[in-house]
Amino acid sequence: MNESQRHLASHLTSVTTMQTTADLSELLTRVARGDEGAFGSVYDEMATSVFGLAKRVIRDPARAEEVSQEVFMQVWQTAVRFEPARGSAKSWILTLAHRRAVDAVRHDQAATNRERKYDWSGGPDYDHVEEEVTVSLEHEQVRKCMDGLTDLQREALQLAYYQGYTYAEVATALDANPATVKTRMRDGIVRLRDCMEVLA
Amino acid sequence: MTTDLHSYGAPYALDALDADERTRFEAHLEHCADCRAELPGFLATANRLGEAAGLAPPAELKARLMASISQTAQERPVVTSLASRSRLRQLLPRMALAAAAVLTALSIGGYITEHNQSADLEAERAAVMTVMASNDAAFTKAALRDGGTVKMVTSKSSDKAVVVTADLPELDDARVYQLWTIIGDSPTSAGIVKAGSAMALMAGVKAVDAVALTIEPEGGSKLPTSKPIATMTSA
Repeated sequence: MNESQRHLASHLTSVTTMQTTADLSELLTRVARGDEGAFGSVYDEMATSVFGLAKRVIRDPARAEEVSQEVFMQVWQTAVRFEPARGSAKSWILTLAHRRAVDAVRHDQAATNRERKYDWSGGPDYDHVEEEVTVSLEHEQVRKCMDGLTDLQREALQLAYYQGYTYAEVATALDANPATVKTRMRDGIVRLRDCMEVLA
Repeated sequence: MTTDLHSYGAPYALDALDADERTRFEAHLEHCADCRAELPGFLATANRLGEAAGLAPPAELKARLMASISQTAQERPVVTSLASRSRLRQLLPRMALAAAAVLTALSIGGYITEHNQSADLEAERAAVMTVMASNDAAFTKAALRDGGTVKMVTSKSSDKAVVVTADLPELDDARVYQLWTIIGDSPTSAGIVKAGSAMALMAGVKAVDAVALTIEPEGGSKLPTSKPIATMTSA
């Protein structure tokens, strides 16, 4: 591919991406008006991301499925709250999904702790973070950019995002100062944002 | 609170705040243009981490959802945020008025309960509004034998409750009102409440079976030393 072809290819890619984004946003607007067909299309577009994310955070497939169902029910019930001006439809749904998955993990954890008392002695199991990897384009890019972070930045982001730890829990798990963890999260996310060339 | 709410932006985007911090940061967002400016980029970055975890769900999920949605009502459009306050008045007329009065007192007079004194009032106010406007807000009320009322709005979805007391009789200097959350048989203090009208916001109420009000020696007690003068269950 020469330079101008590459340019064209990247232009086409971004056009396609924008097309999908616009479609999803349009679909959500129709969902808000009670269009069940549009809901089916939103599901088709987002189910893999939502379920994959829930499964990554929650681990248990049955519970992840339950949470995914709640997420899509929430999409159906509250589609009217989606404001295109404040971000993409995809971002809105993924943010809902992550929030719910994290809340579910914390809720289950709290229930377990009430039964068995508190035990962190095993510490976080990092192994799970890198296993069960679905290879995808997004994954490759995320992995590449993750590699560019410091260990503390990466661990802080992974424990928080993929395991639902609060920053205070991350601090305990990594034996670091909570204020430092907040700063590392910020540095890490800024670096990832720039590396992945994320456009808000 | 002296925590720099600014520094919550990244943890917020990662959902790495606990429920209280989350509420406080969301209230802070309204006043912080810098935070609002950088948040979408943080969220979009976090979402990339989410997409990277993609995994196809079991096929039955879609069929189940399609069957459920046709039976499930949707939220109706709300035109402005002011509209949600008037909707709230329709839903919980007396409660809303009582709370509105207390909220006004809060913004003018400073404190209401001990535990409000140090809290970030704006965040508290936002949290109260969230509880009252939530779809699953449940309302309970108790009238006290010696006068006064206690009202409570509980929202399981936001895991918070708002308790508003009105016209609690004055006590002598050696005694105070104290609020308790009860899980099973164990009461936990939710703070001291002044005579007259007051409001308390309580978090982490999902597991709570009941809320009770007692009269305790000045300074409050670790465990109740008298029978409750009001008990409310949130179910």
